[in-house]
Amino acid sequence: MSLDYVKFSGGFEKFMPKEYRDMVEHGPFGKKISVSQMGSFKEILEEHPMCAGCAMTLFIRLAIIAFPNPEDTITVGTAGCGRLAISQAAIPFVYGNYGDQNGVASGLSRGLRLRFGDKPKDVVVIAGDGGTADIGFQQVLHSWFRKERFTTIMLDNEVYGNTGGQESGMTNRGAVLKMAPLGKKFEKMDMLQMAKVAGCAYVATVVPNNPRRVESVIKKAVLIAREVGSTYIQAYTSCNIEYAIPTDKVMEDAKNVENDRYQFTEYVSEEAKQYLAERYGYKEFLPKPAAPAAAIPNKA
Amino acid sequence: MYLVADIDVSICAEKSCKLCTQYCPEANTIQYSEEMGKSKGFKYGSAYVAVDRCKGCAQCVWVCDNMAKNNAIKMIMIDQLPLAAVTDNIRYDEKSTVAVLSNPMIVIGN
Ligand SMILES: Cc1ncc(C[n+]2csc(CCOP(=O)(O)OP(=O)(O)O)c2C)c(N)n1
Ligand code: SF4
Ligand code: SF4
Ligand code: SF4
Repeated sequence: MSLDYVKFSGGFEKFMPKEYRDMVEHGPFGKKISVSQMGSFKEILEEHPMCAGCAMTLFIRLAIIAFPNPEDTITVGTAGCGRLAISQAAIPFVYGNYGDQNGVASGLSRGLRLRFGDKPKDVVVIAGDGGTADIGFQQVLHSWFRKERFTTIMLDNEVYGNTGGQESGMTNRGAVLKMAPLGKKFEKMDMLQMAKVAGCAYVATVVPNNPRRVESVIKKAVLIAREVGSTYIQAYTSCNIEYAIPTDKVMEDAKNVENDRYQFTEYVSEEAKQYLAERYGYKEFLPKPAAPAAAIPNKA
Repeated sequence: MYLVADIDVSICAEKSCKLCTQYCPEANTIQYSEEMGKSKGFKYGSAYVAVDRCKGCAQCVWVCDNMAKNNAIKMIMIDQLPLAAVTDNIRYDEKSTVAVLSNPMIVIGN
């Protein structure tokens, strides 16, 4: 892996499809690209079979643009809708059995460190709420307790979308779904709190209706995971099919849900703050100058 | 027939906020071109849609109407669009893209 893998093989250039040629010549590899340039460079994500208007797709699109070094990134996924798009991107994608993703990523990230030493290779797990909080729960928690250095992103559509609407641990209490007709009886799992208890160095919630924020959160999470420890992003990525959201109202729903229960939150450990400030120049995490001594009240 | 998004260049090129480019769930579907607006005498460049990639969700319409408040995007039956951009006719430039518009039905039917 390096910029070498986005080159034409000798003699093949004229036979490659246009999309491939555009990727080599106008893709984001080796460049600093941001969401503000969307529509003017060839994206790593290609066409894919996810549903029209799916917010999860938009989030995946933004996340891939936000990867700090896409040429040195490997995504790991599992069963669920997201893999249908993540696998159609021009970066390596590892597909584990349902729920295995954090175990696979643990081995992968350790192996890459043995093979490539200090040069960072970023491992990013992207999986659904069922894959993360239910089926993969054990491996997710263990990877966090072990401080495995990779990023875990939960695509939280609050349902098993790919298999037609069963409730997941992340579904809200009372939600009625096609295959949960009596309504969910338990509360939504608090994976954010669990991530903090398990020692994640960075924990954030986002909604895709703020592309710049998605970009900033992904960058921080990936950079921190290079050296400091596990990082976790929980993104609300509605399923317009299972929650019957008209596709032209998906962003309105995202806004409402953001105001209701998915406000932006960000936890950064002290070590991670220092690392971001010193290594990557994040000014907001530089130590604050000591406050001037409080003025002595004028007793006159 | 099916609906695709169509951007009114004369409205978009006055504002050119680029907001919709960040909200379409499909990659490289809403593109941005400096030439599209400026060559027609408008102030800025314009967004445009590669109709072969558009899934017709109308999310961009909501974004342009409610967030940008510019009302520049309408959903149109693909056979009613006289000219449109398709991926094969889009070239990437340094800072934007250039599309040769053609009849979307002829290109798709080829
Ligand atoms: C071991 C195993 N059990 C069941 C399945 C069937 N299966 C595929 S996707 C899926 C649900 C995915 O739900 P979630 O992880 O929330 O992702 P979403 O599709 O909602 O994005 C299930 C149960 C499977 N692929 N493997
Ligand atoms: S089923 Fe739901 S989550 Fe899956 S692609 Fe369709 S809208 Fe998106
Ligand atoms: S949101 Fe509307 S005005 Fe803004 S770039 Fe898109 S089409 Fe043009
Ligand atoms: S209708 Fe949907 S797929 Fe088509 S351009 Fe608009 S947002 Fe993109």
